[in-house]
Amino acid sequence: MSHTPSTSTEATILEKVIDFVDERVGLKLLAAKMLNEPVPGGSRWAYVFGSVLLFIFIMQAVTGVLLMFYYVPTADHAYASTQYILHDVDYGWFLLSYHFWGSTAMVVCVFAHMSQVFLWGAYKKPRELIWLVGLALFGIVMGFGFTGYLLPWDQRAYWATTVGVEIMDKTPLFGDFMARFLKGGATPGQMTLSRFFVIHVMVLPAALMGLAGLHLFLFRSAGPAGPFRGTPEELKAKTDYFFPRQIWKDIVGMAAVFACICALAFWEPVVLLEEATPDPGDYHPEPEWYFLFLFQLLRLKMFSGEFGQFVGAMALPGAFMALLAALPFIDRDPERNIFKRPIALIGWVVVMAAILIFTISAIINREFLD
Amino acid sequence: MSPTQLGLGILWPAFWTGLPIKLAFVLLFLALGMVHFETRIGLAFLMLLTSPVTVFALPTIILGLESHIGEGVGIALLFLLAIPIDIWALGVVGRTFFLERLRREPPEGLGLTLWWKCALVGAVFLPVLWVAVSATTQASISGVHSMFEMEFLKFVPVAEKISIELVLWGTVATGVLLLLLVAGLSLVGRMIRGTVESARPASESYQGLITRWDLMRVPLDQGLMLTALTGGAVVLSLLFWSSLPVFTPHPHECCKKPEAKAAPAFKPLETLNKDEKLLAQLAAQVELLEKQQAEAELEKEKSKGKGKAGKDAVKAPAATAPVPPAAMKP
Repeated sequence: MSHTPSTSTEATILEKVIDFVDERVGLKLLAAKMLNEPVPGGSRWAYVFGSVLLFIFIMQAVTGVLLMFYYVPTADHAYASTQYILHDVDYGWFLLSYHFWGSTAMVVCVFAHMSQVFLWGAYKKPRELIWLVGLALFGIVMGFGFTGYLLPWDQRAYWATTVGVEIMDKTPLFGDFMARFLKGGATPGQMTLSRFFVIHVMVLPAALMGLAGLHLFLFRSAGPAGPFRGTPEELKAKTDYFFPRQIWKDIVGMAAVFACICALAFWEPVVLLEEATPDPGDYHPEPEWYFLFLFQLLRLKMFSGEFGQFVGAMALPGAFMALLAALPFIDRDPERNIFKRPIALIGWVVVMAAILIFTISAIINREFLD
Repeated sequence: MSPTQLGLGILWPAFWTGLPIKLAFVLLFLALGMVHFETRIGLAFLMLLTSPVTVFALPTIILGLESHIGEGVGIALLFLLAIPIDIWALGVVGRTFFLERLRREPPEGLGLTLWWKCALVGAVFLPVLWVAVSATTQASISGVHSMFEMEFLKFVPVAEKISIELVLWGTVATGVLLLLLVAGLSLVGRMIRGTVESARPASESYQGLITRWDLMRVPLDQGLMLTALTGGAVVLSLLFWSSLPVFTPHPHECCKKPEAKAAPAFKPLETLNKDEKLLAQLAAQVELLEKQQAEAELEKEKSKGKGKAGKDAVKAPAATAPVPPAAMKP
């Protein structure tokens, strides 16, 4: 009678489960494709923003779902339920503050990611579609910020939304329709809150997930662009797979962003103003900080009057976004080194400086209003 | 390679290498209530997290120049913890930098050597930078303000004035800051140059060099490293969640922020009813006062002469009869 000796090569339960799944969905091939992507020139810290954005979105979804357990999206109860989250729910203050600062981190990382792609010249052929989908994702992130701001239903939320919808109203052709659709009445009320809530928790997350998937698919199809300078010998010598070094850097990036968001939640926890009313009283309405530069721009004399407001609020930002969308088709020069693309470099510096100057100006302007 | 490039090439990646570990400690100390930052959080963060150059400079700035970034024993503790972290980060960065960029063999104890040199330059140079940039910023702000006080510039609208002023003083302050930063990096580079020159050149081919450089970034015992990191992360997470306040933490006395105030809630019906009552009361008071005045005058006139006084007394109340308030109209 012979016995088959048990050897160390015998599959464990975990391996059997993996084999079971692999046989049905091709898990190992998928993992190999995802992890063994070559990164030209090796892993870099500059490449972490895409993964960090995905991480922030997941955390926003998790904290958002937890907040929804307590939040009531009605004009009568939105404010009280948010106050309840802040003052009565265990760790509610931290969840809400994390969610609030997470949205800020998302905007900052989107700017950083877009800047990196722009400066690295990674929008050029054959990556035009990745850039276009990325621009749409940028719009969605801004939409998240805009719709989420109203939900606490305090004075800040109410008036920021009123100002934002008024700006939207200035768009020719569909501006009036969009403004009426979002407000759902003459002044922001229950219909506005319901619509913003549905857009914030259903429409935008679905759109973001779909577009982020497409963005990743296009990125994997075209492959990473790699650094914009370096000799072929250097690039070849340093080329590495996505796993483990880039994944390690991504994880460290995520941990750092998580720590920053938590630290901000501690330093400046969310505090609500008075409940929303149609009378601003002494409160000077202003939008969230990432729209402040545009708000300050509209205060300039040259943008006063009906036409000026339209130019400042809609025509200029619209033209800028159109330019960004057309960029890969206008800039056909294969040169990617930013130091050999002076117009691109100067343009980026000017745009960033303008955003910074007008944002700080808006903050200084508060003193004059008070 | 210029001294500035050398200084930047070492300090920039060393800052990012040490940052995540320091951030974890900052977060833990915040949760434990051991650190309270003032409103200049950006500055405080930067000063704390760039500790290879601020470890001796920050106490000088706080004590010598009476600047205050916050309160709590955590700030000092963070600096103490940052010393080994920075020595490690400068060692990792320095070794790879020497091999890959300078193509030289990294000497023994490179991390410690780089750390004390950076700390020394920071201790001398950063307080100078602090004073110079603060003075320049103050001077340029007041200069620009007084420029806009001139008669021929008073027509400039507020929004434009703010932006132009900001650009003017911001350019001066940023220019000085950048110049001094370059000078500081150059100083660090000059301090490090001696160590670079004493290191012997690497003899391998470029491919061999890159392989060594690549392996240098990977720990020798990866299993041990992974276990230690996971263990550390688990301990820090447990400490964080157990120390996280259940309700909003109160700000420290030193670091209270001005409360954002809004007008009290406006409730149209209540306000209207309240105003109506108030107006009715005031109207009744006015009516009563006028009646009393008229009676007093009538008494006075009566004492002077009956005929004329009677006529005037009838006329007076009619001329000043209170108008019913608009709010009381249907």
